[in-house]
Amino acid sequence: MIEYRNLHKSFGDLKVLQGVDLLVEEGETLALLGPSGTGKSVLLKHAIGLLEPDQGDVVVDGVSIAHATPDELKRVRRNLGYVFQNSALFDSLTVAENLWLAQCDESSTRLTSDCRADAIELLGRVNLEPEVLTKYPAELSGGMRKRVGVARAIASRPRYLLWDEPTTGLDPVNADNVDELIFDLGRSLGVTSIVVTHDLDTAFDVGDRIALLFDGRIRAVAPPADILKSEDPVVRQFVRRNRIHTDGSGLRTKNEQTHA
Amino acid sequence: MVDGYGGLGPLTLVLRGLNSVGRATLLAVQILRVVPRPRLYLNAALQQAYLMGVASLPLVLFMAFLGGAVTSQQTGTQFSGGLPLWVIGSVLAASVLTELGPVLTGIVMMARVGAAIAAELASMKVTEQIDALYAMGRDPVAFLVTPRVVAGLMVFPLLTILADGMGILAGWGVGLLSVDGLTSADVIYGMRYYFRPWSLIFSVIKGGIFGLAITFVACFVGLEGRGGAEGVGRATTTTAVATTLLLMVLDVLLVPLLKAF
Repeated sequence: MIEYRNLHKSFGDLKVLQGVDLLVEEGETLALLGPSGTGKSVLLKHAIGLLEPDQGDVVVDGVSIAHATPDELKRVRRNLGYVFQNSALFDSLTVAENLWLAQCDESSTRLTSDCRADAIELLGRVNLEPEVLTKYPAELSGGMRKRVGVARAIASRPRYLLWDEPTTGLDPVNADNVDELIFDLGRSLGVTSIVVTHDLDTAFDVGDRIALLFDGRIRAVAPPADILKSEDPVVRQFVRRNRIHTDGSGLRTKNEQTHA
Repeated sequence: MVDGYGGLGPLTLVLRGLNSVGRATLLAVQILRVVPRPRLYLNAALQQAYLMGVASLPLVLFMAFLGGAVTSQQTGTQFSGGLPLWVIGSVLAASVLTELGPVLTGIVMMARVGAAIAAELASMKVTEQIDALYAMGRDPVAFLVTPRVVAGLMVFPLLTILADGMGILAGWGVGLLSVDGLTSADVIYGMRYYFRPWSLIFSVIKGGIFGLAITFVACFVGLEGRGGAEGVGRATTTTAVATTLLLMVLDVLLVPLLKAF
């Protein structure tokens, strides 16, 4: 369970988060929507202790991230997988070495055959061939880098997955593939996920619930069907504008397809 | 508060300076905590040491060659007629060991290694690779910083010894070719007459301190990088300026150590 409690964060004079309260239940996938620059990624980074709140706290698995000791933080992070917007793969390392870093603990100093076998299995989960292992990130396409980033995030068998704009910069086909990946991983690994996105297709495809971040606070949080029916003018405007971009005739989500 | 310092008042500049010193101290403490656990960084440090050493050796030797050549020629020109020629050997050995060897090595390594470390780490910072390490529960100080600083500490003294050797040989050879009447016997006599073993040890210590300072500053500035490609460029420039100043300040501060023994 991930719980945001009255989270505030400013950068200089810019108030980004102004009292975020949000509860992500065990096993659910929460899609976090919001216009660009509203602090969605900032919110996500607080959950893993990459940013310190000015006020408030994030509690992951009962551990207060704001007050955690370095060892507690390390333990929490081993249970969290983070998929970065631009993959953030180590460009001086091969794909195998990137995965090994996430798989093995700090005292492990070299790639073993066990690590290699695990890496191949991880690549299989994200539909990549073992040949990719010896390649450097610069030799991969954007979609492949994203998938390696996902493989790295799930390498430590995390209970939580944090996705930062997973489909940004991808063509529609690759974006759909990543959406399916998020959906499948959520189901097959039973992880709790937060998916930060401004893409409504992704949010409705993968989210059990959708939260809208607006003006530094959570404006709405509800299942996809309820978000579509919301009377809140901000929610309506956000949903309608995105729907014009994406579909226009209404969205049919994977969740709906599953339940149909 | 607005003045000629890029729109920042002196108080703001002082506070920022103190803030940087505080963060640098914290980084130093973090490195010291990792050092007793060589398993975490030794392989990477050896790899870095190899890369730093092999890549920089030709340039270090070339600079040392030029330094030695200039020293013997200038000494020969300025002292000719006034002092015995063997003084050239004394000045050459003393200058190269206590000053030219370590400083020229430091300058080359500052440009070659310091700038590269700052650019690499700043680039990793702005592309969230450092955040990715934190997210995986890995310590960037153990993984990235300590190996580079330890490598600097290992490689700089070795390169300094080689630079010392090259500088003396170059000064000797060029002196024989350019100073009328100078013989190898003069050079050897001059070098032995004033040679103190402490000069050699001092040279190695100086190289080690320069190595520590350059790699540490480069790592610190690199980790502070922000703001995309411009931030990477800024980190590289800041490292070049800061390490140049630091090198000269340390050079002055270390003089009493030479006199101590």
